[in-house]
Amino acid sequence: MTVSLIAPPTTVIDDDVIVKFDHVNKFYGSMHVLNDICLEVKKNEALVIIGPSGSGKSTLLRSINHLEKINSGHIYVNGRMIGYYEKNGRLYEDNEKNIAVQRASIGMVFQRFNLFPHLTAIENIMEAPLNVLKLSRENATAEAERLLQRVGLSEKRDSYPNQLSGGQQQRIAIARALAMKPGLMLFDEPTSALDPEMIGEVLDVMKELAHEMTMIVVSHEMGFARAVADRMIFVDEGRIIEYSTPEELYTHPREARTKEFLSKILH
Amino acid sequence: MYSFDWAVFWKYLWPVTALQDPLIRSGLIVTVAVSIIAQLLGVILGLFAALGKMSKIGPLKVLAEAYIWYFRGTPLLVQMMLLFFGLGVTHIYNFPDIHLGAIMISGAIQAGTLALAINEGAYMAEIVRAGIEAIDPGQLEAAKSLGMPYSLSMRRIILPQAAKVIIPPLGNEFNNMMKTTSIMTVISAAELFFAFTQVNARLFQPFELFIAASFYYLALTTIWSFVQSWIESSLGERKSVVHTPGFLQRVFTFKGVH
Repeated sequence: MTVSLIAPPTTVIDDDVIVKFDHVNKFYGSMHVLNDICLEVKKNEALVIIGPSGSGKSTLLRSINHLEKINSGHIYVNGRMIGYYEKNGRLYEDNEKNIAVQRASIGMVFQRFNLFPHLTAIENIMEAPLNVLKLSRENATAEAERLLQRVGLSEKRDSYPNQLSGGQQQRIAIARALAMKPGLMLFDEPTSALDPEMIGEVLDVMKELAHEMTMIVVSHEMGFARAVADRMIFVDEGRIIEYSTPEELYTHPREARTKEFLSKILH
Repeated sequence: MYSFDWAVFWKYLWPVTALQDPLIRSGLIVTVAVSIIAQLLGVILGLFAALGKMSKIGPLKVLAEAYIWYFRGTPLLVQMMLLFFGLGVTHIYNFPDIHLGAIMISGAIQAGTLALAINEGAYMAEIVRAGIEAIDPGQLEAAKSLGMPYSLSMRRIILPQAAKVIIPPLGNEFNNMMKTTSIMTVISAAELFFAFTQVNARLFQPFELFIAASFYYLALTTIWSFVQSWIESSLGERKSVVHTPGFLQRVFTFKGVH
């Protein structure tokens, strides 16, 4: 295992770079889940990540808000290293509180929604603004109602998650993440747990968000990627195999592995 | 042939006459009060022990594990005797009688309550831990991703959900607690069973009196089972609005309604 001992600058020079991976490695035992990942995502860019299951694409995404630890390298979000701080050239895991502060500005949407089942739709959305941002109840309610309208679910304001369809739950989950006014949104296979007829409504909400904020999406939805993505990466065995535009990737993939994978998902 | 003294039996079984005896009256109050206080303290201790056991901080984890190991691994009777007589004789701590206006809380009652609470905490720790571990890890991840620190996530997201898992076994623990308070008799704490032994010392009618005593515990645990089923079904209602149990179902359902 290589451990980086050279201290990089704590701030990324380019203000436009929202997320930066700098030689990031992660291991599960002997498995190299993230293999020397280097990547930059610019402000208001939409990046779509594809790759076979177990390729490390979800791990890559989850390490951006430190839901996954890394073994070496650096990840910067908004110019600040996330999850770790550096002292005498060595990395130490940051404390819970500092990590929480950074996570508050990164939205995340999960494959299985992870709505809070004991709270209603609007309470789910208001929870973090009330208790993390310390907004007043009036402001939090007004903002939550605006977001409910935005995702087209105003009439489900007081429903509990188990009274909502999968697609509705995921739209509430998106509203919940947006309530923190994040500059960056992470989507971890947001439509893979949905019935086919509900995929569209979730993708429509996501399309509207694109280019208003920075988005990193793990998804195999080709239509969405073509419509929205500025860049795409193909990840396999922990490496970024290919980095290009959706048009190039789908029509002229350079790598044999990309071709093989695309032939499987595009029938 | 033993002649059963029906007069003594009915006198001490029928609450109106039995509670005229100040020993029985205060004994019943002490049993109920001690049960509630010891259970509440036990839940609090159990919560901290469970969080300690799941903690990443080494010393905290070891401390919590040692506590659970010792108090689940030794008899409550021994723990109570040790706490009251052991600490007393060595002058480490003598439980003094406390006077609160007209009420006197004896050292034995305090020591007994404390022993029950500490013992209960060790059992509650495992129940609370199981409750927390029953919650989908995605819940904590969602809370974290919203910028909620660990303590806030626990308080607002995990524990309210875990409570639904914890409440049915907690109800059973309280049922047990009300019966287990009778162990305090060994340190002469004036609870319900001790009161019956005192009456028995006067009348020497153990068969009649102890049957009567058993019915008091049966009454307490039966009343509690109604309360418990009411709590559980109202929790069930909040969770799913579709299912609303009727009155009969609510009263006679002893297991949680989900």
